[in-house]
This record gives sequence, C-alpha cells and structure tokens, in this order.
Amino acid sequence: MAQNNWLNRVRERLAAEGIVPSAHREAIDEIAEHLNDLHEAAIRAGRTIEQANADVEAELARMAPLAQAVGERASRRQRDTRQRASLHHGLADDFRQALRTLRFDRGFAATVIVTLAIGIGACATVFSFINALLLDSLPFPDPGRLVLLWETDHDVRDKRFIVARPNYDDWVKETRSFASLGIWEYRSVNIASAHEPEQVRGVRATSSLFTVLGVAPALGRVFTDEEDARHEKVVVISDAVWRTHLGGDQAALGKQLRLNGEPYQVIGVMPPGFVFPQAGNGVWVPFAIVDQDQQRGAHSFFVAGRMRPDVTFEQARADVEQVGRALQQRFPENKDEGATATLMSTQGLGQVRSMLTALMGAVLFILVIGCVNVANLQLGRGLSRRREFALRLSLGAGLRTLARQLFAESLVLALCGGIGGLVLTWIALRAADVLVTPGFRTLPFRGEVALTIDGAVLAFAAVMALLSAVTFGFAPMFGLSRREPNSLLREGERGSTAAGNVARKVLVGIEVALAIVVLCGAGLLIKSLSGLLRVSPGLDPRDVLTMTVSLPQDDTYGPPVRESFCADLSRESDGLPGIRTIGAISHLPLSGANAGRLLTVDGYTPSTDERVSAAYRVTCPGYFATLGIPIVEGRDFTHRDVTRGEPVTIVSRLTAEKYWKKGDSPIGRRIKIGGPQSDNPWLTVVGIAENVRHFGLDSEAQREFFVPYSQAVWPQMTIVAKTVGDPMAWQTPLKDVVKRIDPGLPVALVRSMEQWIGSSVDWRETPMKLLTAFAIVGLLLASLGVYGVLAYYVSQRTREIGVRAALGATRGQLASMVIRQSLLPIGAGVVIGVAGSLASGRLLQDFLYQVRPGDPQVIAVIVVLLIGVGLLASWLPARRAAAIDPLVALREE
Amino acid sequence: MGDPIFEAAARKGSAELLILASLEDGQLHGYDIAREIARKSGGLLTFHVASLYPLLYKLEDRKWIQGRWVEKAGQRRRRYYKLTAEGRRTLTAQRGRWTAFVQALTKAAGLRHA
Repeated sequence: MAQNNWLNRVRERLAAEGIVPSAHREAIDEIAEHLNDLHEAAIRAGRTIEQANADVEAELARMAPLAQAVGERASRRQRDTRQRASLHHGLADDFRQALRTLRFDRGFAATVIVTLAIGIGACATVFSFINALLLDSLPFPDPGRLVLLWETDHDVRDKRFIVARPNYDDWVKETRSFASLGIWEYRSVNIASAHEPEQVRGVRATSSLFTVLGVAPALGRVFTDEEDARHEKVVVISDAVWRTHLGGDQAALGKQLRLNGEPYQVIGVMPPGFVFPQAGNGVWVPFAIVDQDQQRGAHSFFVAGRMRPDVTFEQARADVEQVGRALQQRFPENKDEGATATLMSTQGLGQVRSMLTALMGAVLFILVIGCVNVANLQLGRGLSRRREFALRLSLGAGLRTLARQLFAESLVLALCGGIGGLVLTWIALRAADVLVTPGFRTLPFRGEVALTIDGAVLAFAAVMALLSAVTFGFAPMFGLSRREPNSLLREGERGSTAAGNVARKVLVGIEVALAIVVLCGAGLLIKSLSGLLRVSPGLDPRDVLTMTVSLPQDDTYGPPVRESFCADLSRESDGLPGIRTIGAISHLPLSGANAGRLLTVDGYTPSTDERVSAAYRVTCPGYFATLGIPIVEGRDFTHRDVTRGEPVTIVSRLTAEKYWKKGDSPIGRRIKIGGPQSDNPWLTVVGIAENVRHFGLDSEAQREFFVPYSQAVWPQMTIVAKTVGDPMAWQTPLKDVVKRIDPGLPVALVRSMEQWIGSSVDWRETPMKLLTAFAIVGLLLASLGVYGVLAYYVSQRTREIGVRAALGATRGQLASMVIRQSLLPIGAGVVIGVAGSLASGRLLQDFLYQVRPGDPQVIAVIVVLLIGVGLLASWLPARRAAAIDPLVALREE
Repeated sequence: MGDPIFEAAARKGSAELLILASLEDGQLHGYDIAREIARKSGGLLTFHVASLYPLLYKLEDRKWIQGRWVEKAGQRRRRYYKLTAEGRRTLTAQRGRWTAFVQALTKAAGLRHA
C-alpha cells in the first residue's frame, strides 16, 4: 500500500478534529509513517489487506486525543518562541540580527563607526590627560594632608611668594595645625666621581622635610637635626645618582661623593620613584643654616607641611594666615606680607586644570556633533526602514521589540566606535609622547607623568560609547510610535515626514552651534598666541646659543673664586669662527630663573610703605651686546671691572626711571644691596640697559640691576653666544671653550635663545594646537552633517524638483530652493553658537593674552567661515537638484 | 493492550519510563519505540498511536528526548528520537524510584518474585 493513502487519511482525520493540515505537516508525516509501518507489519504477520486496513482504521478512529496533543504542542511551541524572542535569549538574537542588518548596510556602519571613533577617541585622549595629571594623587603616604606654605603680598592669597627662613621658624613655633613642617632651597650641584662630572639639581633641606613627606630611604637613613645643626657634610642621594656615580653598589653607604668640590658622605639612597621637589633632583643635603639665611627679607625658600589628622585644610590655612598676620604686627620687614597654605596636590596644576577643562568641553562637543551626525544618518535610514518596521509591526512585533533591536544596533555601532576610539587614543597618546613637550606633563613632586590607557580610561570610553548609543540610538523610532502600521506601510517608500524634517533641521542647528563654540575657542587661542609672538621680549633671540655652567664655590656670598671666569670666556672664544660675541648671565631671560634684592638708592627717599628693590642679575661683559639689549646710556661692564676695582652696576631703564628723576642721569650715582644700615659696599652706576620681559612675552618688564661676575658671584651662569647661522651647530666649539677654562665644569641646558622663547609660550601653544585640531574635526563633522541632511532632502524631493523643473523653474531657482532649506538651521545654529562661545569663553581666560573671550574679530571670522562651509556643503546637493532631468525624475516614481 | 491495569499504570507515568528506557541504547522512530516496548514486555505492553505520540511530544517539550528528521539511503524520511543528557538522568532517577516502588509493592502486597 502506498504511503500516500495513509497520509491523506491522517490529514482527513485530523482535519475532522479541527487541525489545519497545512500548519502541521511534520506531525502528519510522522503519524502517517507509523500507520504505514503498522499496515506493513500486519501484512507481514499474515493478515489480509482488508484486515490490515481495518487495524489501521481502528487506530485512526481513536485519533481525537492525538489531534488535541498536536494542536496543543503547536501553540505551546509558538508561545515559547515568542517568549524566547522577548526574554534573555532575545538579547543575543537582537545582537545577531543587528550584526546581520549592519552587514547589509556596510557604508552606513563604517561611517557611524568612524564618526564615533573620532569623537570617543578625542574624549578618551583628553580624559587620559585628566586622569594622569589631575586625578592621580601624589606618590606620598596620605597625600591629602600635604600642603605648601607661602608668604603673600598684602595678605592676598593669590599673590604667593617664597619664604624667609625666620618666618618659617616662627610658623613652626606658632602654628597648631601641623604634625611637621620642612623647609628647602634649590641648589645646583656638580657631582664628581669616577663617572664624568655631572650637574644635577639638589636641595638643601631640614631633616623634618622627610618626616613631612613620610618617605624613607631605600638604603641607609636621612640626616638628623643634629647633623644639620653641626653642618655635617652628609648627603642623601637619588636612585639615579646612586646608579650613575656609585654603580648601584649596596655598599655605597659611607662612601664619599664630591659635591661642588667638597667631600660628602653618602648616608642614604631614596627609592627609585621618589621625586622631590622635581624630576631629576639628585641630592638632598642638610640645610646648614648660615647668617645670610637669617634675614626676614631674604625670600628664598619653599616650605611643606603635613597637617595633623584631625585638621581640615581650611583650618590649617586659617591657622597659617592668622600666624602670618601676627608676624606682620611684630616685624617691620613683614609689614606688607601675610602667609597662606595651598594643597600640595594642586601645585603647578592651576593652568593645566583650566586648560584640560576647556579641552574636555571641546572634545565633548565634538562627540555630540558626531552623535548628531549619526542620529541624522539614523533618521534618514529610519525613514527608509519604515516599511520594514511597519511590516514587522503589522506581523505582531511590539514597539518594544523594535526599539530593543534598534538599540542593539546602536550598541553594536557604539561598541565598535568605542574600540576604534581607544585605538585612536592609543595612537594619540603615543604621538603626545613625542609632540607634547615634556614640560607639559612634568609635574612637581611627581616627575614626568605617563599617559596610559588604564582602567579609568577604558571605563570612561565605555560610558561615552554607551551614552552615544543612547543619544543616537532611538532616532529612527522618531514618529514611529504614534502611527498605525497601515499608514506607515502606505507612506513607507516616500518616507519623509514633516516631523522628521524638523528633527533633522534641529540637529543641523545643534551641530553648527557646537562647532562655532569650539571654533571660537580655537580662534581666540590662535589670535592670542599670534599676538603674543609679535610682542618683543626686549632682546634679539636670533642666532644665540645658550648653555649653563655650574661655578660652585664654598661661600656663595663671598668674592668669586674664579675671578677671571668672564675674561677667560672671552679670551678662549676670541677668534673662533662661528662665534661673534659672547657673554654670560646668572638669570637668563625667559628661563624662569630669578632673584631679587632689597636696595638702598643714594639720594632717593622712599615713602613709608615702599620697598626699594629690583631683580638681581650677575653678568659677564658682552651679555647685552650678545642678546641685542641696547645700553641706552653709559657703558657695559668690561674686563677692567675687576674684583678689587671700584664696585659697579648697570640698572635697567625701569629702575632708572623709578629711582632717579627725569633728566637726572643715574650714571655715576650709587646704590647698595640691602637696607640703609647694610654693610654692603656702594655700587656706582655705569650704564642703563633697555628693559627686558624677563618672565615671558606676556609679562611686563620688571626693575632690574646688574653686577659683574668678577665683583659678585653666582653658582650657575648661562653663557650666551651670538653665532654665525644656526646656533645649535656651534655647541661643540662652545663646550670646548668651557673645557679649556676648566675641564671639571659640567655643562647643561644647551639651547638656542629661540627655544627658550618657544618654551616660554609652550603652555599656551600646546592647548592652542590641540584645540585647533579638535575645532577642525568639529568643523568637518558639522559640514558633513549639513551636507548629509541636504543631500537627503534632495533625494527625497527628486520628484517634486522634477515637476518644478518641468513647469519651468530655472536651475538657479532650484538650487536656491535647496540652499534655502539649510539657511534657517545654519542661521539659528550661528546665533546659539555665538551666545555659547561668549558664555564658555571664560574657561579660556587664563590662556588669552590681550584678547577678550567675546573678541568680535574672532567671532566674525568664525561665523563667516562656518556660513561659508555650510553653504559649500549645501551647494553640492543643490547642484545635483538643479541638474535633475524632469523626465527621469518623473519616471522614477 | 486494553488491560485496565496497564492502561492505568501508563497514565500514572510508567509509560514515560518505558519510552526513556527504549531509547537507552540508541535512537528510534515512533513505530520502533512502540515495537521495542511490546517486544521487551513479551507483548504485554503496547501503545496506540493516539497515546504514544502525545507522550513523545510531552517528553520532547521537557527536553528529555530530542526528535529529528533523518533521511537514510533507500528508506523513507523518518523522525528519530534520542535521549538527551537530561533524559538520561531522568531515566536513572525514575528507575530508582520504580525499583523501590516495585520492591515495596512486592513486600506489602505479597507478590511473588518474577
């Protein structure tokens, strides 16, 4: 018997029980097979065909419960499938489905991923800086309790300066908030060992400084108060100095190192990561107080403190300020001076903090612009997918199911974008290692900070990706919820809805506004820096080579040991082909070095509150000529101004104008260092030098006075040499000059004067470059957004444009019709953007030099630029619209 | 077939045990499952189509057995069932319970050992 007979019988039988055969084909097949087997077995058992048929019919007659079971199973399965789709299994399905959809739409996916990667990468890069520079704590135990103490000008907290030792001693006695206080001063140290002589940074400090920091040496011990009091020649060295000069020998303790020519006993080696107060600090010696330190007017020292655990920072600061006011009453030298405290962790971060805040704002805007672009793309795509959604809605998919699937798509995109962003971040950080000057990420007490992608950066990128997914993910749902599937199905193809168009225009407006804010920020920084670079520092930096030599001597206040240093320098370099003039100075302009002295000016009577003072410089003859600083009256020092000759000085023009009446020449008049009662010798003014902006192009010139090295002394001099052509090409001959003077003098900081000027504006230049780069990215993304919206508009209106063209509209009219679409959103964006940039400009205030946040010139340029770019982005789609052939356009429908 | 005691026992769940046990040594299709059970029980235990398939569906839904269509050369397409890992565990557990039940029944009702 053919199988088909029983198959049909099963069908008929189940249909009679209410089962639709077409929906249960497999169950029917299975049962029919079984009946076939039964029939064959009956025949094999010797029954006749009629009997076998009767057996099978008997089975069929009982079929009712089976029909019921088949029906029940089918509906159970259906329910399960639906549940699974909507429950946890559904999530994986959603992602699978999302991947499938995106694989179909590779162009879209790639555009979105690249856009997001740029946005997230920029954010994560800036966050890496924030993470490394602002969020990491100091590498000392309980770093929140560490503070720095300062003196202040007229009790104004923000006008801080370094401290005089007697004031420190009074703070130690009279404050109640500190577990310990320590004081230190920088000094440059020449180390001589079997290794080549090396100049390193050093510190003379009280032993209490180590107590404040709470860091013990890796090897040996730190010095004691007693050793300090007895002026013992003991030294604690850094890990680097230990390795370089003592070969990393465990038995180094007790060995001798010659520091500035004197033997010091090594008593301790600090652990490798210990940075205090700066990277590269190699030696710590006892403070060994001398008479010169005891003057309340000698502000030379830094003070650190560790607060007691029960004291808050505000209490500690109030305590210090209170004691400062008390000292003001007690000592005339403290008349205009207060005291205050700052958290050690914020030292050197003020500008970095506001810069990173501004940069973070900029990159967040870029990410938002990117998300807006993606949302726009999604909107366009959502409209063309509307038919798919409508179909699925009508087939019973819930809105929630669709929303979840869209979100899964967005999540996949954001995840890929996030990964791409991290790759970009990694590249950016490696580039930053090279491009961002070390000074930018070298912090006091921490050294050079490594920029890495750590857990915090990863988490940040993940959050950014997730937020982006939420921001743009639901755009295609826009306008979907309130509609009947039917109307959606009907409109499906045509797609474009009024609500959708408004949404897209709003998004364009947002993009333009954000781009304007970032561009204005960059514009302000560019204008500020270019203005600054046009400021004359008061010297001519071209073709000047500088290098620093250390000239240590026992008594840094006594007469120079190397009386003839300046003369030697001139003699040894005389006739060298590359060197035109040569000189030297203790505090090179724009290097940050400085010293000040109280003065007494013969014949000048100060008012009661006035401090007579000027910045102090020690020079060699030839310095002014080499740096192109004019001597406006009198003469430069000469080699005849010898140690035992008449003490002489040169004053800067500001000093001359301040202390001598107009028309009353200071030449031949006298000044002395210190107050009227000071024993210091009178110095005769022999020249007036033009002013120099010593602290940078953005700072005003100060009063200065100069003395010859042969009559004063300074432990470290910077040689300046005017060269023929590229100064860096002449460093070897100049180093040889130093070697001929004294082979034991180490040379450091070999740079051109132009490099010094460059690094003085570096903290402005780096943020300017970064912000400009971000602004360009923002502008590109925003113009892509404008382009995308209009291109979409044109593609949606092909038919309408075709009709207009057929009715006689000119190409110009069609193009302007398209461009008009973009004018309103661009115009609104410009207005909002300008308002936003006025509001946010304050963030950049610290970085602006003679440019105000609302600079009309900058805003005008940016607005014109953006409108221009916006119109350019509109022009391409407009041209396409104008070129539409009415016949083709109409046939398309 | 048709014996009221066996019918009742099947309804009480012993039929599940019989099906699981029949699949212990490998996969079978529905007709062979019924034939195997009849053969092993010496023809005492038989299934109607109408009672076998609802049970197979139930066991499949519980994921104790898994059915799939197999096409072998020279044969018609058949749906074969095999034990899942969970089915195998269930079989072991049910065997233990039935053994205990039968022993208790033997003692309590004074049955003779088979």
